[in-house]
Amino acid sequence: MKSGTRTITISHLGRIEGHGGVFVKVVGGSVRDVNLDIFEGSRYYEALLKGKHFLEVQGIITRVCAICSSTHTVAALNALENALDVPRSERIHRLRGLLVLGSTIESHALHVFALALPDFLGFDSVIAMASKYRKEVTFALRLKQLGNRIQEIVGGRAVHPVNTLVGGFGKLPAPADLIRIRADLAAQIEPLMEFVDLAARIPVPDWSARPLVHVALRPYEEGFRFRGTSLCTSRGEEYPVSEYREVVREFTVEHSHAKHAALASGDTYVVGSLARLRLWGHLLTGNAKQAFGRLFPEGVPDNILWNTWAQLVETVHCVERGIEHCDLLLSMPQEKSEMVEYSVKAGRGIGAIEAPRGTLFHEYEIDADGRVLFANVITPTAQNLASVERDLRIAAEHLLRLEVEGGTAKLKSGLEMVARAYDPCISCSVHVVRLPADADP
Amino acid sequence: MKSVSRNGKPKVGIFGLTGCAGDQLQILNCEDDLLRLSERVEIVDWVMVRSQNDHNCRLDLAFVEGVVATQRDLAALKEIRARSRTLVAIGTCAVWGGLPAMRNDIPRDVLQKEVFRQDVVLMDTVEARPASDFVPFEYMIPGCPIERHEFLKAVHAIMAGVSPELPKVPVCWECKTRENLCRVVYFGEVCCGAMTRGGCQARCPSHGVACSGCRGPVEEPNFDANITMFKDRRISWLEIARRMENFSAPVWFKMGLEQEVGGEERH
Repeated sequence: MKSGTRTITISHLGRIEGHGGVFVKVVGGSVRDVNLDIFEGSRYYEALLKGKHFLEVQGIITRVCAICSSTHTVAALNALENALDVPRSERIHRLRGLLVLGSTIESHALHVFALALPDFLGFDSVIAMASKYRKEVTFALRLKQLGNRIQEIVGGRAVHPVNTLVGGFGKLPAPADLIRIRADLAAQIEPLMEFVDLAARIPVPDWSARPLVHVALRPYEEGFRFRGTSLCTSRGEEYPVSEYREVVREFTVEHSHAKHAALASGDTYVVGSLARLRLWGHLLTGNAKQAFGRLFPEGVPDNILWNTWAQLVETVHCVERGIEHCDLLLSMPQEKSEMVEYSVKAGRGIGAIEAPRGTLFHEYEIDADGRVLFANVITPTAQNLASVERDLRIAAEHLLRLEVEGGTAKLKSGLEMVARAYDPCISCSVHVVRLPADADP
Repeated sequence: MKSVSRNGKPKVGIFGLTGCAGDQLQILNCEDDLLRLSERVEIVDWVMVRSQNDHNCRLDLAFVEGVVATQRDLAALKEIRARSRTLVAIGTCAVWGGLPAMRNDIPRDVLQKEVFRQDVVLMDTVEARPASDFVPFEYMIPGCPIERHEFLKAVHAIMAGVSPELPKVPVCWECKTRENLCRVVYFGEVCCGAMTRGGCQARCPSHGVACSGCRGPVEEPNFDANITMFKDRRISWLEIARRMENFSAPVWFKMGLEQEVGGEERH
């Protein structure tokens, strides 16, 4: 097998969101090409937004991606409010925070338990896994359901929120609903920590390890947070969010419908749970801190396969932080709706947020009538794609050396596992909203 | 329903063309109900959730979400149709075209240059159109995304051998039964509820937000009454038509929107 050319093809990656495949070309026993082929169709959101009224933006842009719809919503609303100089009340800030926590719980529970865990336990799907691990699967689905319920109560719908507006909310959650959510969140901590113990005993393979540059937003206040104002790298660099277009350089590759990204230095980087823990894991508190110590006793390794456990730690954090948010919201005076007064004016604004899969940027420019002139969205998965290919190469080289043991099937499942560890969201990655050609970058 | 499989369990496939995967996510969001359903049917092809799929077997029941936006989508859709006994379109994209079909008036090469800022080679891209334009579907469940209860209700009906009954009333009707204040009459907003098919229990107006028309047009909307209602409140018909177009542009044009708009300039 040392001589000659062969191609290893995974024509359609399973258990990820969207449509993509992996192609590895091996020549004379060494890896020549590694392509992550994204064949999801383009929906050209940028063209859809142009000329739309700013009040329509959230309802359109949230539909870039279902799983991330709440974080796209919050990023878009923050960007638009920054453009219009709309102040944010404490209640709006907290409610959006709770919405993001709910969406992160849902997204992480989906990925950790339903999409990634079958790899670690040797099943082809969560449905098959339920035959042996009924209790665990039922717990995971309940947890996911709770994430959805939070989004329903705050956002009005689990997928593509409707209640979220520029300047406020159509309807505020009833205190009884917040009390119920709080109790349900509190009930998750014990089973989650039991699962952390179980996870700590599941070995994580090391065949995709390589030096990584991690990138995440600096939390807007002391603590582990999903919203922030500057962009930090694990090499110690820090840039204000306003410079994101200078820092994140995007480029096209022939084999993919999605753009790739690198830092201005040319280095590829990773965003997401692993990066957040690497940069800000020391800020975790309570059970999340314990879970972090239990699952990452020697710190955060440079190996993306650990991303799944990083998501698990963040899930514990989101549950605890969700309880804090409910308490804060319940302590506020009771109202039916909340809407800040503002007037329409021309402006440009950026909204950056840590989505479940990593840093997400939205930027809009609107004219004096409130029509969209310019829109730009950079999604986490688009930023990770170049790294996914690097990791697939490392993994393919490593697995080829071990190939005697399992043949091509083992190699393929190993590569799938690496791609899946990133929790790629391909709908998001393809539907990068770009700058209009005439706009100055 | 009769099954193609030996164990008597109907074989089910769930597929996504170009889209946000929101309707597949709503199926996953059925959680416990999905686990129970999986005991009665055999889900054999669902790439989003399984890694070992049978892409060739005959299917008793299949669901498709999304638009056809690539040649690859079209080929996949035709294959799915050929192997499925009962095919159900799920979500507004598959039924009406949804957001991706909003601006089919702009040629794709113009869009490509605008979005990618350069000529992209080998890009597979065609005008986005609803899956229902290309192959016949036995049933259609609209919604952006679909409502979980409608999906479950439809599956159970189909398995019992009866046609699923989906609401034919407009969102407006459901809004009245929930005793919401009308977004048009009381707030002067551009609300699509009178022309949009119900089933969502007037979700948006119940949150104090105007209906955005995400479920597509109701059968035989009363254009004349709508035009009068909006005109009386100084809302131009063009505004409401543009809002309806967001989610169902292809069918909206077929329904004679252009004539209704009359001499008004399209933006």
